Amino acid sequence: MSYLESNLKTVPTGLRKVLYLNYPLIFLLTAVSCAGFLMLYSVAGGDMTTWAEPQMKRFAIGMLAMLVVGFTPIWFWRNTAGVAYFIALLLLVAVDLFGAIGMGAQRWLEVGPVRIQPSELMKIALVMLLAAYYDWLPVEKVSRPLWVLIPVVLILLPTFLVLEQPDLGTAVMLVLGGGFVMFAAGVSLWYFGTVIALVVALVFGVLESRGTNWQLLHDYQFKRIDTFLDPTEDPLGAGYNITQAQIALGSGGWAGRGFMQGTQSRLNFLPEKHTDFIFTTLAEEFGFVGAFGLLMLYAAIIGFSIYAALINKDRFSSLLTLGVAGTFFFFFAINMAMVMGLMPVVGVPLPLVSYGGTQMMILLSAFGLVQSANVHRPR
Amino acid sequence: MIRTPLRPLARILDARARGENPDAIERENIRLRGEALRERARTTAEGRLLMMGVLFLAAFVTVGLRMGTLAASTPEEPQLGDSAPAILAQRADITDREGRVLATNLVTHALYAQPPMLVDPVGTADKLVKIFPDLNHDRLVKDFTGARKFVWIKKKISPEQLQAVHDIGDPGLLFGPREMRLYPNGSVAAHVLGGARFGAEGVNSAEIVGVAGVEKAFDGWLRDPANKGAPLQLSIDLTVQAALEEVLDGGMKLMDAKGASAVLMDVHTGEIVAMASLPDFDPNDRPAPLTKGDASDSPLFNRAVQGVYELGSTFKIFAVAQALELGLVNPTTMIPSQSPMIFGRFRIHDFHNYGPQLSVTDVIVESSNVGTARIVQMIGPERQKDFLGKMGFLAPTSVELSEAPTGRPILPAKWSEISSMTIGYGHGLSASPLHLAAAYSTIANGGRRVEPTLVHDPRHQEGERVLSEATAKRALAMMRAVVTRGTASFGDVRGYQVAGKTGSADKVKPTGGYYKDKVMATFAGTFPVTDPKYVLILSLDEASTFVAGENRRTAGWTAVPVAAEVIRRVAPLLGLRPEGNTPDVLDGIQLVVAKAGSH
Repeated sequence: MSYLESNLKTVPTGLRKVLYLNYPLIFLLTAVSCAGFLMLYSVAGGDMTTWAEPQMKRFAIGMLAMLVVGFTPIWFWRNTAGVAYFIALLLLVAVDLFGAIGMGAQRWLEVGPVRIQPSELMKIALVMLLAAYYDWLPVEKVSRPLWVLIPVVLILLPTFLVLEQPDLGTAVMLVLGGGFVMFAAGVSLWYFGTVIALVVALVFGVLESRGTNWQLLHDYQFKRIDTFLDPTEDPLGAGYNITQAQIALGSGGWAGRGFMQGTQSRLNFLPEKHTDFIFTTLAEEFGFVGAFGLLMLYAAIIGFSIYAALINKDRFSSLLTLGVAGTFFFFFAINMAMVMGLMPVVGVPLPLVSYGGTQMMILLSAFGLVQSANVHRPR
Repeated sequence: MIRTPLRPLARILDARARGENPDAIERENIRLRGEALRERARTTAEGRLLMMGVLFLAAFVTVGLRMGTLAASTPEEPQLGDSAPAILAQRADITDREGRVLATNLVTHALYAQPPMLVDPVGTADKLVKIFPDLNHDRLVKDFTGARKFVWIKKKISPEQLQAVHDIGDPGLLFGPREMRLYPNGSVAAHVLGGARFGAEGVNSAEIVGVAGVEKAFDGWLRDPANKGAPLQLSIDLTVQAALEEVLDGGMKLMDAKGASAVLMDVHTGEIVAMASLPDFDPNDRPAPLTKGDASDSPLFNRAVQGVYELGSTFKIFAVAQALELGLVNPTTMIPSQSPMIFGRFRIHDFHNYGPQLSVTDVIVESSNVGTARIVQMIGPERQKDFLGKMGFLAPTSVELSEAPTGRPILPAKWSEISSMTIGYGHGLSASPLHLAAAYSTIANGGRRVEPTLVHDPRHQEGERVLSEATAKRALAMMRAVVTRGTASFGDVRGYQVAGKTGSADKVKPTGGYYKDKVMATFAGTFPVTDPKYVLILSLDEASTFVAGENRRTAGWTAVPVAAEVIRRVAPLLGLRPEGNTPDVLDGIQLVVAKAGSH
């Protein structure tokens, strides 16, 4: 009997749940999303209908989903975590199968009028399952090799499916998100040290494999690494996004050019200006102040989530909250690092700001889980 | 149920001894241990959370610092690194003698694709084919979906096409700005300009390389940045060139000729004011060279410079001028002219039999082969060769065209006496119309050599003296008589006092011998005769016209009327004032000499 079940009486029920929502988080998520609407309106050249309006609709639906998920008891989510993971895994397999028929990187699955990206679903399902796993697993077994192997398999299974698409960004996110939950659950640091050492060795191996007949990455993936290491080498080719983004940041200066005054993005210098690279528009139009403001909003979201995890004594709730916060953190950290040239371009959107339906819905639903954990916390 | 582990055995034994329930102790113990375990898990978790917090904070700080440094940096457009080849752009313009543009550059765009970046390769290929119907759809799809990283699609596209491709909106389609060579006057002066193509091509610029004409001859100069964009000024006059081409084209069609060429040269400087070769082409879209057949049938072939022909009777004036210069004859010296003339096993025929003898003037006026041969006999082969060499006939012209060296005169293997006699009337030595223009300029300018040139330069002047002024004047007077009462009577343009000489050379069969019905008809003339300023050489290839019940092929019927029309059109453009009265006397020399005998 877990802590939650032994303290079930103190969990709020019925309409009283409304009082226990994590309101600061709702406010912060809305604020970040609003910054997104503003930027989408701006990059469309002052047009609502192109990107801003659909994004607002998705936000509205996403908020609704967050509340529904939030009012559903947390133990329901704990008990269905395995099912969610299994469904997401099946969808990923389906995408890989249909992707083989289609062309290029097929990441979407068309279900009637709805296009879903199972890899996004998997990011949350994986965190849920791992949280449930460590909730179920007695604490003393956490670091035993066999019990470490199981979550590793659970992480790597979808990762390989996603790599097949191929979607390096999501694969990295899955490994980081899953590893994060394992870390939070208290798996021995030795494992992490070993894995990091292995990764470093692998990176060397991959780089060494280039040009040989056992080449481990696609050429374009090598190209991205090259471009990252020196974007000026090919400023009009693959390095284009990075250099233009850095120019946008630089030209924004401290206070920015003003709303709707961005040139780099407005003049079509930037591909992906409304998706992965939307941060550059913000940085150009609102300068360091605006960009730092957004950074602070993200930091506050992470901060409130960590606090919520700290005060929650239920292991599943705590781990789930941390996992969601970690995923969210990796989303924006990878995106920002990528845009600012601290990291190779891997194709990760800026959470809640970049244009994209699945990402918005999934993230808000994931914060629904955080809300659920908060609402159903024994008090 | 196995009770494991009843660890505080001592306490349990104690309790048993005291009669207490050991189970309670064990429960209590399990509770304590559970709490301790949970406490340990909590401390671990808190430790982990702390580490995470530090990690997050470090990430935020890194991102924030990076943001700050970027915001503080001045935005700079990236420059191409050393890895990209430096491509020189900004080729100098080419203008005519008045500064009117003949060739310039236009900024355009090349279209290329990076297939790995294409979002929808097949759909994009469909849309591209709609914009550029000449593209091969299957090929495009193969390129886009294959392993290629880079595909050139179009080397230059129009602004409308650029917009249309933009509207496809595929990020894998990219544009490279570049300059292209533009000839705004289309085919005007095509052979002079030649043309250009792209050399080394990069995505953001392309090298332009001259492939023919002055573009090739001056390629190094045109792309030399040291000239700071100064245009190359040619001696061509655009309006004269256009008029010449228009008349020549009409004349070529009227006279049913398969080709035509014309050169208009300033007699004092050797500057070519207009030069045309038909059929021609548009240098903006140079046709491919012929892969089979005779290269001289290609529109790319410059008949005026590359084409070497036996120029026939137009050569006679050189023999007569040399004989005059050497004092062997004077214009009225009577020359035996019985046709055919028999020399060893050779027989020299005239078009008509002109009777037992002709004056030197009438040898020219009537164009007597026999009379010319007799005069050449007086000169002798060595002196003739030497003289023709001074006139420039023994080497290719030095005109500034990449094709000029190919216009190498064809000389007899052995300059024998019979060779010298046939060369005297224009057979046995092939030269280009441009050679002829330069040689006629020497006669027209009073006897001084000129080098043909296409560059306008006030420092151009006459060269060494080849003929005395008096000889030149006498030769001119004879040529004037050819127009007033000889074979070139259709060339008497009122007010411009044309002097000249016709030539109708049977064309050489590739198999040896001569065609009976294929003639290279040439008119070589100068105007105005009182103070010659320009020489016009005009040739029609295989011309014929049906006049007065006969198919006429001789130059007097074909080339001369066209030349007259050319002069009528271009003389006013050249700023020549028509004279009302044609003078009869030129520097004391009677111009219209009463013809001996009837016409």
